[in-house]
Amino acid sequence: MANIAAKRIKREFKEVMKSEEVADGTLKLELVNNSWTELKGQIAGPSETPYEGGKFILEIKVPETYPFNPPKIRFLTRIWHPNVSSVTGAICLDILKDQWAAALTLRTVLLSIQALLSAAEPNDPQDAVVAKQYRENIELFHLTAQHWTNVYAGGPNVILDFVQKVQMLTDMGVDENQARVALSTFDWELERATEQLFS
Amino acid sequence: MSAESDMEYSDNDGDDYDYYGGQDDCDMETVDRSKADPEYFVFSCLKVEEVEKLLNESIELLSNSLHITPSLAKVILHAYEWNAQEIINKYKENSNEVLMYSHVKPRVPSVQVYSSIKVCAICATSPPIHKYSALACGHYFCNECWTTHFEVQIMQGVSNNIQCMAQECEVLAPEDFVLSHVTNPTLRERYQQFMFKDHVKSHPELRFCPGPNCQWIYHAVAREGARRVECLGCELLTCFTCGAPHHAPTDCATIRKWLTKCADDSETANYISAHTKDCPKCQICIEKNGGCNHMQCGACRYDFCWVCLGDWKSHGSEYYECSRYKEDPNLINDNQHAQAREALKKYLHYYERWENHARSLKLEEQTLACLKTRINRKVMAGEGTWIDWQYLWDSARLLKRCRYTLQYTYPFAYYMEVGPRKELFEYQQAQLEAEIENLSWKVERAETTHRGDLENQMDIAEKRRTTLLKDFLEFNTTNASSSKV
Repeated sequence: MANIAAKRIKREFKEVMKSEEVADGTLKLELVNNSWTELKGQIAGPSETPYEGGKFILEIKVPETYPFNPPKIRFLTRIWHPNVSSVTGAICLDILKDQWAAALTLRTVLLSIQALLSAAEPNDPQDAVVAKQYRENIELFHLTAQHWTNVYAGGPNVILDFVQKVQMLTDMGVDENQARVALSTFDWELERATEQLFS
Repeated sequence: MSAESDMEYSDNDGDDYDYYGGQDDCDMETVDRSKADPEYFVFSCLKVEEVEKLLNESIELLSNSLHITPSLAKVILHAYEWNAQEIINKYKENSNEVLMYSHVKPRVPSVQVYSSIKVCAICATSPPIHKYSALACGHYFCNECWTTHFEVQIMQGVSNNIQCMAQECEVLAPEDFVLSHVTNPTLRERYQQFMFKDHVKSHPELRFCPGPNCQWIYHAVAREGARRVECLGCELLTCFTCGAPHHAPTDCATIRKWLTKCADDSETANYISAHTKDCPKCQICIEKNGGCNHMQCGACRYDFCWVCLGDWKSHGSEYYECSRYKEDPNLINDNQHAQAREALKKYLHYYERWENHARSLKLEEQTLACLKTRINRKVMAGEGTWIDWQYLWDSARLLKRCRYTLQYTYPFAYYMEVGPRKELFEYQQAQLEAEIENLSWKVERAETTHRGDLENQMDIAEKRRTTLLKDFLEFNTTNASSSKV
């Protein structure tokens, strides 16, 4: 790994560790290997959002040309959000792409991703299905996001109706995650989700 | 813009512009032809060095009148699409606005003080203070980081739009700043190549020839509509306005729609047309999967003949009756399915003709090549001089030009609304088509055709072509609202 990249990451790692966000538990950062090329981050779901109470894990890959190119970051925890792929966890955020500046740091990037959870940008979607639900049925979107937070990120709010519907499909032999995606996609209409799964 | 004003140019520069590569014509004829040519458009075909000279003139003009470095002049010209006069006027009114608009100066200046810098924010090292530099925004970083930043950007193909490294800073690095940090000769060269390409692309009066590996660049005053330019190197015909292959009489928006449609639909459409038919009774789409022409519809159990779609019962022994062509008398069918097939049929009608002429055009290229060797052989054998056989060469070139126009009449007709104007168009198109086929026949049998006969046919075909273009090329007609969206 290039000298600058390793040096920068080491410094940024310390910066994050000493930050107040780590102290109050909003952020976490740990090394995956000893070569400083891969890290694991964790952000807390912001309050007054459907993600509240959840802990979301991020995969951070540092390119050879860091900080002149942005780090590659995606969600490892599954999340229902217009700017994050519900399948791969890929994030649509300008500073991770063309608006990246070498002066940005891991801490600022992690905080930007956390801010994205409070303020979705449905007109620049990563996941078109989620974005459509966000625009057309915001209440259902909130419930779905809460349910996903509960199931995958340890959030406190159990949406009983959704849990039961997923259970009905898993009883029929469908994989749980597939069942959840299908139901979420079809606004929790059991019939349409079943049709899609078995077609 | 009227046709008359086009022609005023031809008196000045007519002999510079020789279309369809008829370089052998003498000047007099070229001037005459450009006057008679409804597609006439003034342009020049420039080499890279000539374009560099042209760009440098603008850069010099701006740097002299605003007293700025040529590098900054480039950044500003690029932002204002190379309109030096507009920049000079705006600069007189409000120089700050011009500098901020082109990202030379920041909207919000940095508060960092040069003498207080201790650590480079990028690499976290502390080089001596003279090893820092900054753009007009005052964001100081160490020179090594600038170098790496530029190298990474150049490797990614960025040249004119390399931004400052600071967060949310949009100030652009001008050429001299970049080159003072990049020493690698390969990267320096790459940077300058990308820069030149960017400049040509951002310049409204310049366009790269789209031909593969072609180095020529067109220079013309941009105007609306299909504007023909021909490359001196690869002889490709291009529309200067949109960069697609030249497409008169079709306009730029229509040809784009047509080409996308062809790219999207043709595969499916071809398959459907080749392998399926609608059941004559219930109109369901049927795919033929065996050799037998006795078909039974899977939906309504109707027995029919695949070839003529007639009832199979009445077929029996008189099978070959159906090889005769008959017009379908009851085309008007409200059935949605039938309508979809009608739309497809219409598209295929135009698409097949379009494709066919494109193919013929390619074959015509071969004829041209053949002809050249044949004429050369004759000249070598003492059967007359090149001048004696010139007419053959001219006729083949003219044939190519006519067929080219004919090909591009089909997308035009496809999008035309039904009405008297379309009838007139299709009448003229049919006339042109007939004369072109006559000419093609005579060119292929050129040695046995009387020279006068051939020249007469050339004249007829070319007149048909120009008449059609005069009547339907959008900037030649005031009521050009014939194509619908």
